Amino acid sequence: MNVLKVSRWTIAAFVLPCLLLYVCLVFIPILVSIYSGTLDWNGIGASKFVGFANYTKMFTNDSVFWPALGRTFLLAGFSMLVQVPIALFVAILISRYVRKPNFLVSSYFLPVILSVVVIGQLWKTIYNPASMGGMINQILIQLGLDSWTHSWLTEPKVAIFAVILVSLWQYLGYHILIQFTGIQNIPADIYEAAKIDGAEGFKADRYITLPMIVPIFKISVVLSFIGSLQSFDLIMVMTGGGPAHATDVISSHMYNMSFLSMKYGYGSAIATFLVFVCLLATLIINFLFSRLDKRYS
Amino acid sequence: MSQSVLIPATKPVIEQRRRGLSVKKTIVFIFFGILLVTQLYPLLWLLIYSLKTNEEILSGSFFAFPAIWQWENYANAVGGGKYWNYLSNSLFVTSITMAGVIFLSSLAAFAITRFRWKYGQVVMLIFLLGMMIPMQGTLLPLMVIFKNMNILNTHLSLILPYIAFQTPISVFILSGFMRTIPQEIEESAIMDGAGVFRIFRSIILPVSVPPIMTVCILTFINIWNEYIMAATFISSEKLKTLPFGVYSFVSQYSVNYGAIGAFLVLGALPVIIIYFLLAEKITKGMVAGAVKG
Repeated sequence: MNVLKVSRWTIAAFVLPCLLLYVCLVFIPILVSIYSGTLDWNGIGASKFVGFANYTKMFTNDSVFWPALGRTFLLAGFSMLVQVPIALFVAILISRYVRKPNFLVSSYFLPVILSVVVIGQLWKTIYNPASMGGMINQILIQLGLDSWTHSWLTEPKVAIFAVILVSLWQYLGYHILIQFTGIQNIPADIYEAAKIDGAEGFKADRYITLPMIVPIFKISVVLSFIGSLQSFDLIMVMTGGGPAHATDVISSHMYNMSFLSMKYGYGSAIATFLVFVCLLATLIINFLFSRLDKRYS
Repeated sequence: MSQSVLIPATKPVIEQRRRGLSVKKTIVFIFFGILLVTQLYPLLWLLIYSLKTNEEILSGSFFAFPAIWQWENYANAVGGGKYWNYLSNSLFVTSITMAGVIFLSSLAAFAITRFRWKYGQVVMLIFLLGMMIPMQGTLLPLMVIFKNMNILNTHLSLILPYIAFQTPISVFILSGFMRTIPQEIEESAIMDGAGVFRIFRSIILPVSVPPIMTVCILTFINIWNEYIMAATFISSEKLKTLPFGVYSFVSQYSVNYGAIGAFLVLGALPVIIIYFLLAEKITKGMVAGAVKG
Protein backbone atom coordinates (compact mmCIF):
# COMPACT_ATOMS: atom_id res chain seq x y z
CA MET A 1 0.00 0.00 0.00
CA ASN A 2 1.34 3.39 -0.93
CA VAL A 3 2.29 5.60 1.99
CA LEU A 4 1.97 9.01 0.39
CA LYS A 5 -1.40 10.49 1.32
CA VAL A 6 -1.69 13.80 -0.46
CA SER A 7 -4.37 16.35 -1.16
CA ARG A 8 -6.42 16.39 -4.30
CA TRP A 9 -4.59 19.50 -5.44
CA THR A 10 -1.22 17.82 -5.22
CA ILE A 11 -2.43 14.88 -7.25
CA ALA A 12 -3.82 17.29 -9.84
CA ALA A 13 -0.54 19.19 -9.97
CA PHE A 14 1.36 15.99 -10.71
CA VAL A 15 -1.01 14.25 -13.11
CA LEU A 16 -3.00 16.91 -14.92
CA PRO A 17 -0.31 18.69 -16.98
CA CYS A 18 0.71 15.43 -18.61
CA LEU A 19 -2.77 13.95 -18.86
CA LEU A 20 -4.39 17.09 -20.25
CA LEU A 21 -1.77 17.61 -22.94
CA TYR A 22 -2.06 13.99 -23.91
CA VAL A 23 -5.87 13.86 -23.95
CA CYS A 24 -6.13 17.14 -25.86
CA LEU A 25 -3.60 16.23 -28.54
CA VAL A 26 -4.17 12.49 -28.96
CA PHE A 27 -7.63 11.48 -27.79
CA ILE A 28 -9.70 14.48 -28.74
CA PRO A 29 -8.27 14.65 -32.29
CA ILE A 30 -9.25 11.01 -32.80
CA LEU A 31 -12.80 11.80 -31.64
CA VAL A 32 -12.84 14.87 -33.91
CA SER A 33 -11.64 12.66 -36.73
CA ILE A 34 -14.47 10.18 -36.14
CA TYR A 35 -16.92 13.06 -36.20
CA SER A 36 -15.56 14.78 -39.29
CA GLY A 37 -15.60 11.43 -41.06
CA THR A 38 -19.35 11.92 -41.26
CA LEU A 39 -19.08 15.33 -42.92
CA ASP A 40 -18.77 16.60 -46.44
CA TRP A 41 -16.17 19.26 -45.77
CA ASN A 42 -13.22 20.83 -47.56
CA GLY A 43 -11.65 22.19 -44.36
CA ILE A 44 -12.47 25.84 -44.96
CA GLY A 45 -16.07 26.36 -46.06
CA ALA A 46 -19.33 25.13 -44.58
CA SER A 47 -19.63 21.47 -43.70
CA LYS A 48 -22.60 19.23 -44.31
CA PHE A 49 -23.51 16.16 -42.26
CA VAL A 50 -23.70 13.15 -44.57
CA GLY A 51 -23.82 10.22 -42.11
CA PHE A 52 -22.08 7.16 -43.45
CA ALA A 53 -21.89 8.40 -47.04
CA ASN A 54 -18.09 8.74 -46.85
CA TYR A 55 -17.79 5.13 -45.74
CA THR A 56 -20.16 3.91 -48.42
CA LYS A 57 -18.10 5.76 -51.00
CA MET A 58 -14.88 4.38 -49.53
CA PHE A 59 -16.02 0.74 -49.66
CA THR A 60 -17.96 0.77 -52.91
CA ASN A 61 -16.95 3.69 -55.07
CA ASP A 62 -13.25 4.44 -54.61
CA SER A 63 -11.00 2.75 -57.13
CA VAL A 64 -7.90 3.49 -55.04
CA PHE A 65 -9.11 2.26 -51.65
CA TRP A 66 -9.17 -1.54 -52.04
CA PRO A 67 -5.87 -1.82 -53.94
CA ALA A 68 -4.31 0.48 -51.33
CA LEU A 69 -5.66 -1.73 -48.53
CA GLY A 70 -4.33 -4.76 -50.40
CA ARG A 71 -0.87 -3.21 -50.63
CA THR A 72 -0.97 -2.35 -46.94
CA PHE A 73 -1.55 -6.01 -46.15
CA LEU A 74 1.05 -7.04 -48.74
CA LEU A 75 3.60 -4.97 -46.86
CA ALA A 76 2.42 -6.39 -43.53
CA GLY A 77 2.57 -9.90 -44.96
CA PHE A 78 6.11 -9.52 -46.26
CA SER A 79 7.15 -8.02 -42.96
CA MET A 80 5.59 -10.76 -40.81
CA LEU A 81 6.31 -13.76 -43.02
CA VAL A 82 9.71 -12.83 -44.45
CA GLN A 83 11.39 -10.20 -42.29
CA VAL A 84 10.50 -11.47 -38.82
CA PRO A 85 11.32 -15.16 -39.51
CA ILE A 86 14.66 -14.21 -41.13
CA ALA A 87 15.38 -12.04 -38.11
CA LEU A 88 14.62 -14.95 -35.77
CA PHE A 89 16.87 -17.24 -37.80
CA VAL A 90 19.72 -14.72 -37.73
CA ALA A 91 19.20 -14.10 -34.00
CA ILE A 92 19.44 -17.84 -33.26
CA LEU A 93 22.59 -18.15 -35.37
CA ILE A 94 24.22 -15.15 -33.70
CA SER A 95 23.48 -16.36 -30.19
CA ARG A 96 24.85 -19.80 -31.09
CA TYR A 97 28.01 -18.91 -33.03
CA VAL A 98 29.18 -15.45 -32.07
CA ARG A 99 30.95 -14.96 -28.79
CA LYS A 100 31.06 -11.14 -28.91
CA PRO A 101 27.83 -10.32 -30.69
CA ASN A 102 27.65 -6.58 -29.93
CA PHE A 103 29.43 -5.39 -33.07
CA LEU A 104 27.37 -7.58 -35.39
CA VAL A 105 24.02 -6.77 -33.80
CA SER A 106 24.63 -3.04 -33.62
CA SER A 107 25.84 -2.94 -37.23
CA TYR A 108 22.69 -4.70 -38.42
CA PHE A 109 20.72 -2.24 -36.33
CA LEU A 110 22.28 0.93 -37.80
CA PRO A 111 19.73 1.56 -40.59
CA VAL A 112 16.91 1.53 -38.01
CA ILE A 113 17.97 4.75 -36.34
CA LEU A 114 18.39 6.71 -39.57
CA SER A 115 15.70 9.08 -40.73
CA VAL A 116 13.25 7.68 -43.26
CA VAL A 117 14.01 10.70 -45.43
CA VAL A 118 17.69 9.78 -45.65
CA ILE A 119 16.89 6.10 -46.20
CA GLY A 120 14.24 6.90 -48.80
CA GLN A 121 16.43 9.32 -50.74
CA LEU A 122 19.40 6.98 -50.54
CA TRP A 123 17.39 4.14 -52.07
CA LYS A 124 15.84 6.43 -54.62
CA THR A 125 19.40 7.14 -55.76
CA ILE A 126 20.21 3.42 -55.73
CA TYR A 127 17.11 2.70 -57.83
CA ASN A 128 17.83 5.50 -60.32
CA PRO A 129 18.30 4.62 -64.00
CA ALA A 130 21.93 3.77 -64.79
CA SER A 131 22.25 6.99 -66.75
CA MET A 132 21.51 8.87 -63.52
CA GLY A 133 24.01 6.92 -61.45
CA GLY A 134 21.67 4.28 -59.98
CA MET A 135 23.66 1.42 -58.46
CA ILE A 136 21.32 -1.52 -59.06
CA ASN A 137 20.88 -0.83 -62.75
CA GLN A 138 24.62 -0.22 -63.17
CA ILE A 139 25.38 -3.57 -61.54
CA LEU A 140 22.86 -5.32 -63.78
CA ILE A 141 24.38 -3.75 -66.89
CA GLN A 142 27.91 -4.77 -65.86
CA LEU A 143 26.69 -8.31 -65.31
CA GLY A 144 25.28 -8.22 -68.83
CA LEU A 145 21.72 -8.41 -67.59
CA ASP A 146 20.53 -5.30 -69.42
CA SER A 147 17.09 -6.76 -69.88
CA TRP A 148 16.65 -6.95 -66.09
CA THR A 149 17.09 -3.24 -65.61
CA HIS A 150 14.00 -1.41 -64.57
CA SER A 151 13.02 2.07 -63.78
CA TRP A 152 12.29 0.64 -60.36
CA LEU A 153 10.18 3.38 -58.83
CA THR A 154 8.23 4.53 -61.86
CA GLU A 155 7.03 1.23 -63.32
CA PRO A 156 3.67 0.53 -61.68
CA LYS A 157 4.23 -3.23 -61.42
CA VAL A 158 7.60 -3.18 -59.66
CA ALA A 159 7.40 0.10 -57.73
CA ILE A 160 5.56 -1.28 -54.69
CA PHE A 161 8.02 -4.17 -54.34
CA ALA A 162 10.93 -1.75 -54.61
CA VAL A 163 9.47 0.23 -51.70
CA ILE A 164 8.67 -2.88 -49.66
CA LEU A 165 12.26 -4.08 -50.08
CA VAL A 166 13.56 -0.85 -48.56
CA SER A 167 11.19 -1.16 -45.62
CA LEU A 168 12.28 -4.77 -45.02
CA TRP A 169 15.91 -3.71 -45.30
CA GLN A 170 15.61 -0.85 -42.85
CA TYR A 171 13.82 -2.69 -40.05
CA LEU A 172 15.43 -6.13 -40.32
CA GLY A 173 18.03 -5.08 -37.74
CA TYR A 174 15.31 -4.00 -35.33
CA HIS A 175 13.72 -7.43 -35.30
CA ILE A 176 17.11 -9.15 -35.10
CA LEU A 177 17.92 -7.02 -32.06
CA ILE A 178 14.58 -7.65 -30.33
CA GLN A 179 14.69 -11.41 -30.82
CA PHE A 180 18.38 -11.69 -30.06
CA THR A 181 17.74 -9.94 -26.74
CA GLY A 182 14.85 -12.35 -26.16
CA ILE A 183 17.10 -15.37 -26.73
CA GLN A 184 19.79 -13.91 -24.46
CA ASN A 185 17.24 -13.69 -21.67
CA ILE A 186 16.48 -17.41 -21.77
CA PRO A 187 18.27 -18.85 -18.70
CA ALA A 188 21.38 -20.81 -19.68
CA ASP A 189 20.69 -23.66 -17.22
CA ILE A 190 17.68 -24.73 -19.29
CA TYR A 191 20.03 -25.44 -22.21
CA GLU A 192 22.43 -27.24 -19.89
CA ALA A 193 19.63 -29.42 -18.56
CA ALA A 194 18.55 -30.17 -22.11
CA LYS A 195 22.10 -31.07 -23.07
CA ILE A 196 22.11 -33.74 -20.37
CA ASP A 197 18.85 -35.04 -21.79
CA GLY A 198 20.48 -35.18 -25.21
CA ALA A 199 18.98 -32.08 -26.83
CA GLU A 200 21.61 -29.91 -28.51
CA GLY A 201 21.88 -27.62 -31.51
CA PHE A 202 18.78 -27.29 -33.60
CA LYS A 203 16.91 -29.75 -31.45
CA ALA A 204 17.42 -27.44 -28.49
CA ASP A 205 16.22 -24.53 -30.61
CA ARG A 206 13.10 -26.41 -31.61
CA TYR A 207 12.11 -27.43 -28.09
CA ILE A 208 13.55 -24.60 -25.96
CA THR A 209 14.30 -21.44 -27.92
CA LEU A 210 11.12 -21.35 -30.00
CA PRO A 211 8.63 -21.95 -27.15
CA MET A 212 10.50 -19.66 -24.77
CA ILE A 213 10.71 -16.84 -27.28
CA VAL A 214 7.01 -16.77 -28.15
CA PRO A 215 6.30 -13.60 -26.08
CA ILE A 216 9.19 -11.71 -27.72
CA PHE A 217 8.26 -13.07 -31.13
CA LYS A 218 4.78 -11.69 -30.54
CA ILE A 219 6.22 -8.24 -29.92
CA SER A 220 8.09 -8.43 -33.21
CA VAL A 221 4.96 -9.51 -35.05
CA VAL A 222 2.81 -6.78 -33.50
CA LEU A 223 5.44 -4.15 -34.23
CA SER A 224 5.86 -5.26 -37.82
CA PHE A 225 2.12 -5.43 -38.43
CA ILE A 226 1.24 -2.13 -36.80
CA GLY A 227 4.33 -0.55 -38.35
CA SER A 228 3.24 -1.72 -41.80
CA LEU A 229 -0.29 -0.43 -41.34
CA GLN A 230 1.07 2.96 -40.39
CA SER A 231 4.13 3.13 -42.60
CA PHE A 232 3.71 5.81 -45.10
CA ASP A 233 6.56 8.20 -44.48
CA LEU A 234 8.78 5.96 -46.61
CA ILE A 235 6.18 5.90 -49.36
CA MET A 236 5.65 9.65 -49.16
CA VAL A 237 9.40 10.20 -49.46
CA MET A 238 10.04 7.69 -52.23
CA THR A 239 6.99 7.82 -54.50
CA GLY A 240 4.23 9.89 -52.88
CA GLY A 241 1.87 7.02 -53.74
CA GLY A 242 2.58 7.22 -57.47
CA PRO A 243 2.98 6.35 -60.29
CA ALA A 244 -0.79 6.62 -60.75
CA HIS A 245 -1.56 5.32 -57.23
CA ALA A 246 0.51 2.18 -57.86
CA THR A 247 2.23 2.46 -54.46
CA ASP A 248 -0.61 4.00 -52.47
CA VAL A 249 -1.30 2.39 -49.11
CA ILE A 250 -4.16 3.25 -46.77
CA SER A 251 -2.35 6.00 -44.92
CA SER A 252 -0.83 7.63 -47.99
CA HIS A 253 -4.28 7.57 -49.61
CA MET A 254 -5.65 9.24 -46.47
CA TYR A 255 -2.90 11.85 -46.60
CA ASN A 256 -3.37 12.62 -50.27
CA MET A 257 -7.14 12.88 -49.90
CA SER A 258 -6.90 15.17 -46.87
CA PHE A 259 -4.01 17.41 -47.73
CA LEU A 260 -3.76 17.40 -51.51
CA SER A 261 -7.36 16.90 -52.64
CA MET A 262 -8.67 18.88 -49.65
CA LYS A 263 -11.40 16.31 -48.95
CA TYR A 264 -11.22 16.66 -45.17
CA GLY A 265 -14.38 14.71 -44.45
CA TYR A 266 -13.41 11.83 -46.67
CA GLY A 267 -9.82 11.84 -45.42
CA SER A 268 -11.10 11.68 -41.84
CA ALA A 269 -13.26 8.70 -42.69
CA ILE A 270 -10.19 6.85 -44.02
CA ALA A 271 -8.22 7.89 -40.91
CA THR A 272 -10.99 6.53 -38.68
CA PHE A 273 -10.97 3.28 -40.61
CA LEU A 274 -7.19 3.08 -40.12
CA VAL A 275 -7.44 3.62 -36.35
CA PHE A 276 -10.14 0.96 -36.17
CA VAL A 277 -8.06 -1.56 -38.16
CA CYS A 278 -5.04 -0.90 -35.93
CA LEU A 279 -7.01 -1.55 -32.74
CA LEU A 280 -8.65 -4.64 -34.21
CA ALA A 281 -5.34 -6.03 -35.48
CA THR A 282 -3.69 -5.61 -32.08
CA LEU A 283 -6.58 -7.44 -30.42
CA ILE A 284 -6.53 -10.30 -32.96
CA ILE A 285 -2.76 -10.80 -32.75
CA ASN A 286 -2.90 -10.77 -28.95
CA PHE A 287 -5.71 -13.32 -29.02
CA LEU A 288 -3.86 -15.65 -31.42
CA PHE A 289 -0.68 -15.50 -29.38
CA SER A 290 -2.44 -16.09 -26.08
CA ARG A 291 -3.69 -19.38 -27.58
CA LEU A 292 -0.20 -20.21 -28.79
CA ASP A 293 1.15 -19.41 -25.34
CA LYS A 294 -1.32 -21.78 -23.73
CA ARG A 295 -0.41 -24.58 -26.08
CA TYR A 296 3.24 -24.33 -25.18
CA SER A 297 2.90 -23.94 -21.41
CA MET B 1 29.33 -7.53 -54.23
CA SER B 2 30.89 -10.96 -53.83
CA GLN B 3 34.40 -9.55 -53.44
CA SER B 4 33.71 -7.64 -50.29
CA VAL B 5 31.73 -10.51 -48.79
CA LEU B 6 34.90 -12.46 -48.18
CA ILE B 7 36.53 -9.80 -46.02
CA PRO B 8 34.40 -10.13 -42.89
CA ALA B 9 34.38 -13.89 -43.26
CA THR B 10 38.14 -14.48 -43.31
CA LYS B 11 38.74 -13.94 -39.61
CA PRO B 12 36.47 -16.77 -38.47
CA VAL B 13 38.11 -18.99 -41.06
CA ILE B 14 41.44 -18.54 -39.31
CA GLU B 15 39.87 -19.17 -35.93
CA GLN B 16 38.26 -22.27 -37.29
CA ARG B 17 41.55 -23.71 -38.48
CA ARG B 18 43.03 -23.11 -35.09
CA ARG B 19 40.26 -24.85 -33.22
CA GLY B 20 39.41 -27.33 -35.90
CA LEU B 21 35.75 -26.42 -36.09
CA SER B 22 33.22 -27.41 -38.68
CA VAL B 23 32.39 -26.22 -42.17
CA LYS B 24 29.01 -25.24 -40.78
CA LYS B 25 30.53 -22.40 -38.84
CA THR B 26 32.26 -21.03 -41.94
CA ILE B 27 28.99 -21.04 -43.85
CA VAL B 28 27.26 -19.27 -40.98
CA PHE B 29 29.93 -16.58 -40.87
CA ILE B 30 29.80 -16.07 -44.64
CA PHE B 31 26.08 -15.59 -44.18
CA PHE B 32 26.71 -13.02 -41.42
CA GLY B 33 29.17 -11.28 -43.76
CA ILE B 34 26.68 -11.09 -46.61
CA LEU B 35 24.10 -9.66 -44.27
CA LEU B 36 26.60 -7.14 -42.93
CA VAL B 37 27.35 -6.02 -46.48
CA THR B 38 23.68 -5.66 -47.42
CA GLN B 39 22.97 -3.67 -44.25
CA LEU B 40 25.98 -1.36 -44.41
CA TYR B 41 27.13 -1.20 -48.04
CA PRO B 42 24.35 1.19 -49.17
CA LEU B 43 25.52 3.66 -46.52
CA LEU B 44 29.15 3.30 -47.55
CA TRP B 45 28.14 3.65 -51.19
CA LEU B 46 26.39 6.91 -50.33
CA LEU B 47 29.55 8.19 -48.66
CA ILE B 48 31.67 7.44 -51.76
CA TYR B 49 28.95 8.78 -54.04
CA SER B 50 28.95 12.05 -52.11
CA LEU B 51 32.63 12.59 -52.92
CA LYS B 52 32.42 12.07 -56.67
CA THR B 53 31.92 14.42 -59.57
CA ASN B 54 28.75 14.19 -61.63
CA GLU B 55 30.73 12.52 -64.46
CA GLU B 56 32.09 9.84 -62.16
CA ILE B 57 28.64 9.12 -60.76
CA LEU B 58 27.10 8.80 -64.19
CA SER B 59 29.96 6.75 -65.66
CA GLY B 60 28.67 3.55 -64.08
CA SER B 61 31.78 2.60 -62.11
CA PHE B 62 29.93 2.27 -58.84
CA PHE B 63 32.70 0.43 -56.99
CA ALA B 64 35.44 2.88 -57.90
CA PHE B 65 36.70 5.52 -55.50
CA PRO B 66 36.62 9.09 -56.78
CA ALA B 67 39.81 10.20 -58.62
CA ILE B 68 39.88 13.39 -56.63
CA TRP B 69 37.80 13.51 -53.47
CA GLN B 70 35.27 16.22 -54.14
CA TRP B 71 35.05 17.91 -50.77
CA GLU B 72 33.45 20.85 -52.52
CA ASN B 73 30.26 18.78 -52.73
CA TYR B 74 30.11 19.25 -48.98
CA ALA B 75 30.93 22.93 -49.33
CA ASN B 76 28.02 23.21 -51.79
CA ALA B 77 25.70 21.33 -49.46
CA VAL B 78 26.62 23.40 -46.41
CA GLY B 79 26.91 26.66 -48.34
CA GLY B 80 24.09 29.10 -47.81
CA GLY B 81 23.84 27.98 -44.21
CA LYS B 82 20.67 25.95 -44.71
CA TYR B 83 22.15 22.85 -43.16
CA TRP B 84 23.11 24.63 -39.94
CA ASN B 85 19.69 26.19 -39.81
CA TYR B 86 17.91 22.81 -40.14
CA LEU B 87 20.32 21.26 -37.66
CA SER B 88 19.77 23.92 -35.02
CA ASN B 89 15.99 23.70 -35.50
CA SER B 90 16.16 19.95 -34.96
CA LEU B 91 18.34 20.40 -31.90
CA PHE B 92 15.95 22.97 -30.48
CA VAL B 93 12.74 21.01 -31.11
CA THR B 94 14.20 17.70 -29.97
CA SER B 95 15.77 19.03 -26.77
CA ILE B 96 12.65 20.94 -25.69
CA THR B 97 10.56 17.84 -26.44
CA MET B 98 12.91 15.63 -24.42
CA ALA B 99 12.85 17.99 -21.46
CA GLY B 100 9.06 18.26 -21.63
CA VAL B 101 8.53 14.51 -21.93
CA ILE B 102 10.80 13.73 -18.97
CA PHE B 103 9.34 16.46 -16.76
CA LEU B 104 5.68 15.72 -17.44
CA SER B 105 5.81 11.95 -17.61
CA SER B 106 7.96 11.53 -14.50
CA LEU B 107 5.50 13.68 -12.52
CA ALA B 108 2.60 11.58 -13.79
CA ALA B 109 4.38 8.27 -13.27
CA PHE B 110 5.25 9.32 -9.71
CA ALA B 111 1.62 10.15 -8.93
CA ILE B 112 0.32 6.95 -10.52
CA THR B 113 2.68 4.63 -8.67
CA ARG B 114 3.38 6.31 -5.32
CA PHE B 115 0.25 8.22 -4.22
CA ARG B 116 -2.54 6.61 -2.25
CA TRP B 117 -5.56 7.39 -4.46
CA LYS B 118 -8.29 5.54 -6.27
CA TYR B 119 -7.82 6.49 -9.89
CA GLY B 120 -4.15 5.71 -10.49
CA GLN B 121 -4.94 2.61 -12.53
CA VAL B 122 -7.62 4.43 -14.54
CA VAL B 123 -5.12 7.11 -15.55
CA MET B 124 -2.61 4.42 -16.42
CA LEU B 125 -5.19 2.68 -18.60
CA ILE B 126 -5.89 5.91 -20.48
CA PHE B 127 -2.19 6.22 -21.25
CA LEU B 128 -1.97 2.57 -22.32
CA LEU B 129 -4.87 2.99 -24.74
CA GLY B 130 -2.99 5.80 -26.42
CA MET B 131 -0.09 3.56 -27.38
CA MET B 132 -2.28 1.85 -29.96
CA ILE B 133 -3.45 5.05 -31.63
CA PRO B 134 -1.76 5.73 -34.97
CA MET B 135 -0.34 9.22 -35.33
CA GLN B 136 -1.80 9.61 -38.83
CA GLY B 137 -5.35 9.61 -37.45
CA THR B 138 -4.65 12.86 -35.64
CA LEU B 139 -2.85 14.80 -38.39
CA LEU B 140 -5.87 16.46 -39.89
CA PRO B 141 -7.70 17.46 -36.68
CA LEU B 142 -4.43 18.69 -35.17
CA MET B 143 -3.84 20.88 -38.19
CA VAL B 144 -7.31 22.40 -37.85
CA ILE B 145 -6.82 22.89 -34.08
CA PHE B 146 -3.41 24.50 -34.54
CA LYS B 147 -4.72 26.74 -37.28
CA ASN B 148 -7.44 27.98 -34.93
CA MET B 149 -4.91 28.47 -32.14
CA ASN B 150 -2.74 30.41 -34.59
CA ILE B 151 0.31 28.28 -33.90
CA LEU B 152 0.47 26.49 -37.24
CA ASN B 153 3.92 26.91 -38.80
CA THR B 154 5.66 27.50 -35.45
CA HIS B 155 7.92 25.13 -33.54
CA LEU B 156 5.22 24.91 -30.87
CA SER B 157 2.99 23.04 -33.34
CA LEU B 158 5.66 20.32 -33.47
CA ILE B 159 6.76 20.28 -29.83
CA LEU B 160 3.24 19.93 -28.38
CA PRO B 161 2.17 16.83 -30.35
CA TYR B 162 5.68 15.35 -30.07
CA ILE B 163 5.48 15.52 -26.28
CA ALA B 164 1.92 14.20 -26.30
CA PHE B 165 2.79 11.21 -28.48
CA GLN B 166 5.86 10.30 -26.45
CA THR B 167 4.15 10.44 -23.04
CA PRO B 168 2.31 7.07 -23.05
CA ILE B 169 5.44 4.96 -23.56
CA SER B 170 7.44 7.21 -21.21
CA VAL B 171 4.88 7.06 -18.41
CA PHE B 172 4.73 3.32 -18.91
CA ILE B 173 8.50 2.81 -18.68
CA LEU B 174 8.94 5.22 -15.76
CA SER B 175 6.04 3.88 -13.70
CA GLY B 176 7.24 0.34 -14.31
CA PHE B 177 10.48 1.33 -12.63
CA MET B 178 9.08 3.56 -9.89
CA ARG B 179 6.74 0.80 -8.74
CA THR B 180 9.80 -1.21 -7.69
CA ILE B 181 11.27 1.47 -5.39
CA PRO B 182 10.69 0.28 -1.79
CA GLN B 183 8.09 2.16 0.26
CA GLU B 184 10.43 2.45 3.25
CA ILE B 185 12.32 5.21 1.47
CA GLU B 186 9.28 7.46 1.54
CA GLU B 187 8.38 6.43 5.09
CA SER B 188 11.73 7.55 6.40
CA ALA B 189 11.64 10.70 4.26
CA ILE B 190 8.27 11.63 5.73
CA MET B 191 9.68 11.04 9.24
CA ASP B 192 12.44 13.47 8.40
CA GLY B 193 9.77 15.98 7.44
CA ALA B 194 10.21 16.00 3.66
CA GLY B 195 7.26 17.17 1.58
CA VAL B 196 5.92 15.47 -1.56
CA PHE B 197 7.82 17.66 -4.00
CA ARG B 198 10.99 17.21 -1.98
CA ILE B 199 10.59 13.41 -2.04
CA PHE B 200 10.04 13.52 -5.78
CA ARG B 201 12.97 15.78 -6.52
CA SER B 202 15.60 14.48 -4.12
CA ILE B 203 14.75 10.79 -3.83
CA ILE B 204 12.63 9.41 -6.67
CA LEU B 205 14.18 11.33 -9.56
CA PRO B 206 17.81 10.54 -8.70
CA VAL B 207 17.19 6.81 -8.41
CA SER B 208 15.16 6.81 -11.64
CA VAL B 209 18.06 7.88 -13.84
CA PRO B 210 18.33 4.56 -15.78
CA PRO B 211 14.71 4.53 -17.03
CA ILE B 212 14.94 8.27 -17.68
CA MET B 213 17.91 7.54 -19.96
CA THR B 214 15.79 4.97 -21.79
CA VAL B 215 13.04 7.54 -22.25
CA CYS B 216 15.59 10.09 -23.48
CA ILE B 217 16.92 7.71 -26.10
CA LEU B 218 13.50 6.66 -27.37
CA THR B 219 12.34 10.26 -27.54
CA PHE B 220 15.50 11.38 -29.28
CA ILE B 221 15.38 8.72 -32.00
CA ASN B 222 11.65 9.15 -32.64
CA ILE B 223 11.55 12.93 -32.64
CA TRP B 224 14.86 13.61 -34.37
CA ASN B 225 13.72 11.53 -37.35
CA GLU B 226 10.09 12.62 -37.43
CA TYR B 227 9.14 13.78 -40.89
CA ILE B 228 5.38 13.66 -41.53
CA MET B 229 4.22 16.12 -38.85
CA ALA B 230 7.08 18.48 -39.66
CA ALA B 231 6.16 18.41 -43.35
CA THR B 232 2.48 18.95 -42.54
CA PHE B 233 2.63 21.66 -39.88
CA ILE B 234 5.70 23.65 -40.96
CA SER B 235 6.00 25.63 -44.16
CA SER B 236 8.61 28.35 -43.61
CA GLU B 237 12.12 27.54 -44.73
CA LYS B 238 13.72 28.87 -41.55
CA LEU B 239 11.66 26.64 -39.24
CA LYS B 240 12.22 23.29 -40.98
CA THR B 241 13.77 20.44 -39.02
CA LEU B 242 16.53 18.30 -40.48
CA PRO B 243 14.54 15.43 -42.11
CA PHE B 244 12.15 17.86 -43.77
CA GLY B 245 15.09 20.10 -44.69
CA VAL B 246 16.94 17.19 -46.29
CA TYR B 247 13.81 16.37 -48.26
CA SER B 248 13.38 19.90 -49.60
CA PHE B 249 17.09 20.29 -50.37
CA VAL B 250 17.12 17.07 -52.37
CA SER B 251 14.02 17.99 -54.35
CA GLN B 252 15.51 21.37 -55.25
CA TYR B 253 19.00 20.28 -56.33
CA SER B 254 18.01 17.50 -58.66
CA VAL B 255 21.03 17.78 -60.98
CA ASN B 256 24.00 18.17 -58.62
CA TYR B 257 24.20 14.50 -57.58
CA GLY B 258 27.31 14.85 -55.46
CA ALA B 259 25.86 17.69 -53.40
CA ILE B 260 22.67 15.71 -52.85
CA GLY B 261 24.73 12.78 -51.63
CA ALA B 262 26.71 15.09 -49.38
CA PHE B 263 23.53 16.55 -47.91
CA LEU B 264 22.15 13.07 -47.24
CA VAL B 265 25.39 12.10 -45.49
CA LEU B 266 25.21 15.29 -43.42
CA GLY B 267 21.57 14.53 -42.65
CA ALA B 268 22.48 11.10 -41.30
CA LEU B 269 25.66 12.19 -39.57
CA PRO B 270 24.37 13.51 -36.19
CA VAL B 271 22.52 10.27 -35.42
CA ILE B 272 25.42 8.12 -36.63
CA ILE B 273 27.88 9.99 -34.38
CA ILE B 274 25.61 9.59 -31.39
CA TYR B 275 25.13 5.92 -32.27
CA PHE B 276 28.89 5.37 -32.36
CA LEU B 277 29.20 6.86 -28.89
CA LEU B 278 26.16 5.23 -27.30
CA ALA B 279 25.42 2.15 -29.42
CA GLU B 280 24.83 -0.18 -26.52
CA LYS B 281 22.65 2.27 -24.60
CA ILE B 282 20.63 3.00 -27.73
CA THR B 283 20.01 -0.64 -28.63
CA LYS B 284 19.03 -1.40 -25.03
CA GLY B 285 16.73 1.60 -24.94
CA MET B 286 15.06 0.68 -28.22
CA VAL B 287 14.49 -2.89 -27.03
CA ALA B 288 13.02 -1.62 -23.76
CA GLY B 289 10.73 0.64 -25.75
CA ALA B 290 9.65 -2.18 -28.04
CA VAL B 291 9.18 -4.77 -25.34
CA LYS B 292 7.21 -2.50 -23.09
CA GLY B 293 5.19 -1.03 -25.93
